[in-house]
Amino acid sequence: MRLPLAEFGDSLFGEEKMADLEDKPYDPEREAWTRRRFLKAAGLVAAGAAAVPILEACGGGGGGGGGALTTGKAPVPRQGASIRLLQWVHFVPAADTEFIRQCTEFGTKYGVTVAVERITADQLIAKTAADVESNSGPDIIQMQYGWPHLYDAACVDVSNEVGILKSKLGAVASVNDAFCKVNGVYKAIPYTIVPNAFTYRTDLLSQAGVTSWPKTWTEFAAAAAKMKAANLQPFAQTDGHAYGDSLTMWNPVLWSHGATEVKADGKTVTINSKETRAAIAWAQNAVKGGFVVHPEWLDPDNNQAYHANRISATLNGASIYIREKVEFHHYDSVSDNGVVPAGPKGLYTMNLIFNHAVMKWSPEKETAKALIMYLMDKTNYLKYTDIAGGYNAGPFAAFDNDPVWTKDPKMKAFHDVVATGKWPGWPATPSKQTAQSQQQYIVADMFAKAIANGDTESAVKEAESRLQAIFSRPG
Amino acid sequence: MSTATRRVSGAGVSRPLHLRLIEREAPMGYILLLPTLLVLGTFLAWPFLFGLWLSVTSAELSDPGHFIGFGNYNFEFKIDHPFWTSFWNTFLYTGVTTVFKFTLGLSMALLLNQIFPLQRFVRAALLLPWIIPTVLSTLAWKWMFDPTFSVVNWVAVHLHLVAAPGPNWFGGTSTAMAALMIVNTWRGMPFYGIAFLAGLQTIPLDLYEAARVDGANRWQQFLHITLPLLRPVLLVVLLLSTILTFADFQVPFVLTNGAPYNSTHVLATWAYQWGVPGGAIGLGASVSLVLFPVLSIIIAGVLVLLRRPE
Repeated sequence: MRLPLAEFGDSLFGEEKMADLEDKPYDPEREAWTRRRFLKAAGLVAAGAAAVPILEACGGGGGGGGGALTTGKAPVPRQGASIRLLQWVHFVPAADTEFIRQCTEFGTKYGVTVAVERITADQLIAKTAADVESNSGPDIIQMQYGWPHLYDAACVDVSNEVGILKSKLGAVASVNDAFCKVNGVYKAIPYTIVPNAFTYRTDLLSQAGVTSWPKTWTEFAAAAAKMKAANLQPFAQTDGHAYGDSLTMWNPVLWSHGATEVKADGKTVTINSKETRAAIAWAQNAVKGGFVVHPEWLDPDNNQAYHANRISATLNGASIYIREKVEFHHYDSVSDNGVVPAGPKGLYTMNLIFNHAVMKWSPEKETAKALIMYLMDKTNYLKYTDIAGGYNAGPFAAFDNDPVWTKDPKMKAFHDVVATGKWPGWPATPSKQTAQSQQQYIVADMFAKAIANGDTESAVKEAESRLQAIFSRPG
Repeated sequence: MSTATRRVSGAGVSRPLHLRLIEREAPMGYILLLPTLLVLGTFLAWPFLFGLWLSVTSAELSDPGHFIGFGNYNFEFKIDHPFWTSFWNTFLYTGVTTVFKFTLGLSMALLLNQIFPLQRFVRAALLLPWIIPTVLSTLAWKWMFDPTFSVVNWVAVHLHLVAAPGPNWFGGTSTAMAALMIVNTWRGMPFYGIAFLAGLQTIPLDLYEAARVDGANRWQQFLHITLPLLRPVLLVVLLLSTILTFADFQVPFVLTNGAPYNSTHVLATWAYQWGVPGGAIGLGASVSLVLFPVLSIIIAGVLVLLRRPE
């Protein structure tokens, strides 16, 4: 029986069930079908089946045209199974320790051997691509951004598991949802959001006469100019090929000026617009004023520069602030965090998004799914976010009020940038093409080129030609 | 085949086929070649043919795609703008670094061919850049060129060679390309040096003595004895190095990964960009195969030079 996923997942367990399950550790046996649940679900299935044609006739249908497999039955781990999970090396080392602890705990509880393999985020894509092409490798791979769209054929349908999680934890954050759902079928289980906000030095900003964190890009440029005038450490950011910091900076600048790469249809390239030119003009003026851009910086470089007292503000995940607070203690008391400024067309942000996919070659798919469900259990997940100190935000509604956000008031900015988050290629739905555009840093390159040589027209036209190439590629 | 064997065969006594094959030189030669052919076929011919096939398909990671003829090549040459940047960068990168590696490698070999204290130690030490894994040494260079903590800039500034804070090596298009070339030259030079040194040591000393008796100076000895006798080694090293530099991936990938704004992409990194992060493996294969005809011409040219009588 095929059903629209969201409706099935949400209605199967309902409010009563949600209350029942909340705050209890994940237990596959508890998730097994009872007679009462079966009757309840069967009724809903019948109602759903009857409703589908009506919804479709009315242009609805929820998840949309996919063949999502939903049974409502939680995956059960197989005793004696071995699972390999591949993911990045966390910027907050304690978070990885906790993640591995939870995996080991799962292994001990269910008699499963779990191995967590970690490589740096920039190498994760090469390893993933090699695994996909050779049709072998880890059972679970952490998917960054829109990878489920790039590797959809290699990822198992996990609609059933996402449905169960939705019933327990509420709605999925829109960006995770867009990345995980490929043609209406969930190809990855929402895992986490790494919110990106500005971390800045309150002492240096005060010396320059900047009393509060800028709320708009215009104020940001003015504050950067004040830093330069006072001969203090600058506001600085990469406009190079950094998989995180470059994308999370320049896409929001573009969007908040009303510009986009492509229309919502995912085909019509729209980068050549007056809004794009306005965004570039802002960047050029900000750099002339005192904002420093580094085309050569990769993701760790702004962290190092901040810790080395070379810069006064930069856009990043919370790792700079957290490591100052927990590890370095050089500038923790004079550091604070601010939301990404808004542009003339509103406030837009972009965050790093990671999700877990179960790979089709895995001989232990059910155990792999069960492990992810265990990690996503509310109690376990909150332990993880607590130790990560706010570097990670949960991808379900139940995590909106994660205590980690109130534990340290300075972390509020990282909470606030989640709701305004979009994905590269927005407003088009994530696709192979939007993923390719992101991987080729077309937006960041456009800004970098226009800032470096001042030739806006050439930069915009090159970006347009590269986007058109991607969206017109043979295939 | 011996006379005795022929007599036996002629008498009508048939010998088993495998014995007859082993005893004949030609079939035995082919049998002995088989393992090598198998290895070459598996690890060279098959990947090459598979790459050739991929380049004419719409293959993506986890999707074998379908035959699209020259669609990928057409896309590269006519639509894919950074392809041409990568194409010219590859030639520039190979051309400049080969000239430097050749000149410096030959100088290094001539110096190492002299007798001096700690000669063996120096020879071994100069091989280090070539021995250290490329990724490791390139990462070390990346730190040395780092804009915030550059030791290169620190030294240059303290020696008053440049004004503080020194060049932003990876921030500008020309400085980033220069950094790539410096690292490639540093890494490739010892290969030239050691190969040339081996060649130099095969040249009989009598020739130099005779030349000296005839009144030839050092430059004339180098021009008329060293260079002609070293020619086969020079050409082979040049050929190997050119092929390796054309296909170099590690140094450009680790050092700049195309930044700033795709100005330092070479064909190898651009092929990777399409094939791996972009998932378009067919297109990536076609980008990398563009080098095939270019390298074929270079190889043919060097082989002709090698065969030409001195």
